[in-house]
Amino acid sequence: MKEYVLLMISAALVNNVILARFLGLCSFMGVTTRIDTAVGMGMATTFVITVSSMADWAVEAYLLQPYGLGYLRTVTFILIIAATVQFTEMIVKKVSPPLFQMLGIYLPLITTNCAVLGVALLLVEGKMNFIGATLFAFASSIGYSLVMVIFAGLRERLALADTPRLFAGPPIGFIVASLLALAFMGFSGMSTS
Amino acid sequence: MSEAVDSMTDFSAPTMIEGTAHVVAVEGNMAWLVPETGSSCGGCASASACGSKGIGTAASRLEARRFQLVNDAGLRVGERVVVGIRENTLVRASLTAYAIPLATLLSAGALAQWAAGSDTITMVAMLAGLALGLGLARLGAGRLLVRGELAPRFIRRASPGETCNS
Repeated sequence: MKEYVLLMISAALVNNVILARFLGLCSFMGVTTRIDTAVGMGMATTFVITVSSMADWAVEAYLLQPYGLGYLRTVTFILIIAATVQFTEMIVKKVSPPLFQMLGIYLPLITTNCAVLGVALLLVEGKMNFIGATLFAFASSIGYSLVMVIFAGLRERLALADTPRLFAGPPIGFIVASLLALAFMGFSGMSTS
Repeated sequence: MSEAVDSMTDFSAPTMIEGTAHVVAVEGNMAWLVPETGSSCGGCASASACGSKGIGTAASRLEARRFQLVNDAGLRVGERVVVGIRENTLVRASLTAYAIPLATLLSAGALAQWAAGSDTITMVAMLAGLALGLGLARLGAGRLLVRGELAPRFIRRASPGETCNS
């Protein structure tokens, strides 16, 4: 139990997907103009990363490794992620068409989000069991969502602040993101062993 | 020089999330609208220029998100309007659609791992948990729909050149 808790804290904070591994920066900069859209995108990404990582682990354990097909890993995982996004769209549309109308815009953005593929490849590298891999993926995506929401809050305030014209918009956003990354570096001093 | 932030600004006051849409059909007292895409990244900005209606294109995705509004404002086909939803509605919808299935999925997996300790049994349990969670999400979404929280509201007609990003 303790090892799973430490695994999750490490995945969410110490090795944060956005601020430590620098993955998923496109949607990080694009969908964080409002806290609400950041929450929507974060939740959708969390769902897709968790479900696709489960599928990736199963394919790796039962197909790629036993038959020596490791060279197909990247292509296979991309296919699984795209299929998972389509599956999620279909499911949300079936469960509730009004929910799909509200939330459906975020899903296509996740297909090309490198954080999803990055997490899948990392869990293969970590040689975890199924529950460990799922918890790692879930915690990584929670860390991703947390940083998105924090950054969205900062950007909402920045939009109202008196920023020099040359820095307004993305430039000050990137500066704030780097300061946030510096702050998260404080977690790297935590020992999980 | 822009004005300083008003110290009396209430950041906690509920606001609407606005978006632009255009009217594609009018049937009696109801109008059908299709949302206009914004550019959350460069890909979407270029995809909005795509006019084809193939499967999976931005145009077909937007068409799939058609929604209805009561046409009290006398809207006509082709008009552009600004619609909105309450900001906490998006959060509530996201939690309903994604958090509930994830919670049941992880709970079932944790329980199976504790009870059986086998990867295969945990996998099956997680899939069952996911299915249960989706059923609960459907019930939750139905409740939100009955309360009218998922429907966008008409705010105003869009001024020329007004977009999601302005």
